[in-house]
Amino acid sequence: MISIKNLHAEVEGKPILRGVDLEIPDGEVHAIMGPNGSGKSTLASILAGREEYEVTQGSVTYKGQELLEMDPDERACEGVFLGFQYPVEIPGVSNLYLLRAALNARRKYHGEPEIDAVDFMQMAQEKIDHVGMSMEMAKRGVNEDFSGGEKKRNEIFQMLMLEPNLAILDETDSGLDIDALKVVSDGINRLRSPERSVVLVTHYKRLLEHCVPDRIHVLYQGQIVRSGGPELADTLEAEGYANLETDEAAATS
Amino acid sequence: MSAAEQIDPSIDHYLAEFSRIERDLPGSDDSKRVRSTELKRFAETGFPTVRDEEWKYTSLAAVEKRRFEINDESAAIDKSALDAFMPKGFEAHRLVLVDGYFNAGLSDLNDLPAGVTVRSFADHLRDNAGVGVKAQEVDDEPGSLAAMNAAFFTDGAYVETASGAVLEKPLHIICVSSGAHDDRMTQVRHRYVFGENSQATIVEHAIGLGDKAYFANVVTEAVMGRNAQLKRVRLQEESERGYHVSAFFGQQRRDSRIFNHAFDLGGRLARIDTNSRLVDQNAEVHLNGVFVPTGRQHMDNHTMIDHDTEHSISREQYKGVLAGHGRGVFNGKILIRKDAQKTDSDLSVDALLLSDKAEVDAKPELEIYADDVTAGHGSTVGQLDEDAVFYLKSRGISEEGARAVLTYSFANALVEQLGIAPIERYVEATLLKKLPGGEAFADLA
Ligand SMILES: Nc1ncnc2c1ncn2[C@@H]1O[C@H](COP(=O)(O)OP(=O)(O)OP(=O)(O)O)[C@@H](O)[C@H]1O
Ligand SMILES: [Mg+2]
Repeated sequence: MISIKNLHAEVEGKPILRGVDLEIPDGEVHAIMGPNGSGKSTLASILAGREEYEVTQGSVTYKGQELLEMDPDERACEGVFLGFQYPVEIPGVSNLYLLRAALNARRKYHGEPEIDAVDFMQMAQEKIDHVGMSMEMAKRGVNEDFSGGEKKRNEIFQMLMLEPNLAILDETDSGLDIDALKVVSDGINRLRSPERSVVLVTHYKRLLEHCVPDRIHVLYQGQIVRSGGPELADTLEAEGYANLETDEAAATS
Repeated sequence: MSAAEQIDPSIDHYLAEFSRIERDLPGSDDSKRVRSTELKRFAETGFPTVRDEEWKYTSLAAVEKRRFEINDESAAIDKSALDAFMPKGFEAHRLVLVDGYFNAGLSDLNDLPAGVTVRSFADHLRDNAGVGVKAQEVDDEPGSLAAMNAAFFTDGAYVETASGAVLEKPLHIICVSSGAHDDRMTQVRHRYVFGENSQATIVEHAIGLGDKAYFANVVTEAVMGRNAQLKRVRLQEESERGYHVSAFFGQQRRDSRIFNHAFDLGGRLARIDTNSRLVDQNAEVHLNGVFVPTGRQHMDNHTMIDHDTEHSISREQYKGVLAGHGRGVFNGKILIRKDAQKTDSDLSVDALLLSDKAEVDAKPELEIYADDVTAGHGSTVGQLDEDAVFYLKSRGISEEGARAVLTYSFANALVEQLGIAPIERYVEATLLKKLPGGEAFADLA
């Protein structure tokens, strides 16, 4: 699905990613963990096309295309979805309007006609039920006056509506109670299929128990310093990231 | 130097123009004297210049340079020419002025309720020798352009509501500059006289047709009786070469309320002065305004709320969206006089700059002489939130589209306060059309 090679990126001259290599095959779920400030959100943002980060080296191929050469909206139309760590509030534009505009943008991009209004509402109602939101909330401004947990549910709602090929979820599980966490993990599990891949950026093993990943990677100071199977989450929980520096030395030697 | 040479050639033109048309202007002999006095007042200062503090950022040089003439009659325009300007589903009484004259054929004033008079102001002046060209109750109409209007105005709308009368359907006043000839001026004056407990909604809609240069100078006087309520909408859609100047003078008695909503979308240059004087307790005025200069448009809003006595209320919110080389000015003066204790006022102005060539000067100006008042004010000038732009793009919406949608949502927060759905939809759609990439989101409206 996506192949990241030797990715270096900086912001305002400060290096943040220092050679990330990552391969995510079709249909797999990979988790990225790592301490605060290690560059997880930066990586996620670069994949979605955020321009404030400057890629200085490396490449990213997505479904055989040069991802970094595409505009963010083009990437979205090609099936990339970013679940934001901090979703933005946009009063005055309803969640449903945004989704319909997003779906239609995608359809237009692929030369398809606009979605039928009735079909859209039916689909929306179904997904709203999946994430335990209400129609009233969906009609409100994008994330307007939503609590932290509601914003995360809304990201999952959007993901389910847009059915991406590559979903990158940046801490969508942070700050959630157990019910909301179940909504998020159910949403991810619903999306799982042989033609979709998911990247879960998380700090917590909790999510990974509900959505067992194929691989876990540890990002530390802008590099992937360790990769392993789902059991790596247990090791990290037991030991923390304390031993990573030695790992990093081993990885670079 | 001879006396003739001292006269500004532009003023000279207007003096001659006045002599040419004076005979046909409506009003009694008394009115004619007032018109002459006002003409002198205009001639003394001429058009305002940027040396005048109140006009610091708005130059009328382009207006002064031209020699505008009063139309002798209204151009024959077809009803269908106005179709594009009719908000869908807007049920209203309609008074149409074309080139400064009441047009009965285009108007519809058939089913006015008892106690409500709506007619041509010129007719009203002709029929009532006792009615003056300036409302007695409005003490002062400062500015040389208001004076020019008092001298030259050819017609307008006269609205009178008897005590307790309620105009259920809004009144839609359309003021068309036909653009049939070059360099014409439309001088129009409206007067609203509200009896006690009466209530009405009035939409003043300025429209320009064609591509000729013209000058529209509109004055509205509103005399509000006790506990009366006016909702006034100014919808300005002059054409590309239209110069629009508008002044509102409100005089508010006890418990009266004015809700003023202004939408400036058109014109080459627009200068709007909105003044209200709260002369009695518990009078209340709300001024909302959205101004959207794009291309090379220039829009200047000056407001002046005069709190005269205790316990009056004012709320003011303006939003500017500036794109291209658009130029915006806002100056909101709140005067709280010594006796105006317990005044409750708040003013905010927020501007959104969409291009680095656009420019805005926004200033609240509080003058407070009473010591027990609440007077809040704030002003912001900013750009679109780039995080929000990215959020929308990450969902598949184009850069232009994302900016249009966010700009729309910025302005729409005020449009939605209007409370007249067909006009809200109309303004929203017009706004989206003005924004690059906005048309694709027409269904947001
Ligand atoms: N726009 C920016 N400007 C300046 N510095 C930035 C910017 N974005 C990120 N950084 C810096 O880059 C580093 C990595 O940040 P990033 O947000 O990617 O970390 P993270 O791994 O997602 O952390 P967390 O777990 O706290 O979310 C941090 O030191 C951060 O301060
Ligand atoms: Mg982060």
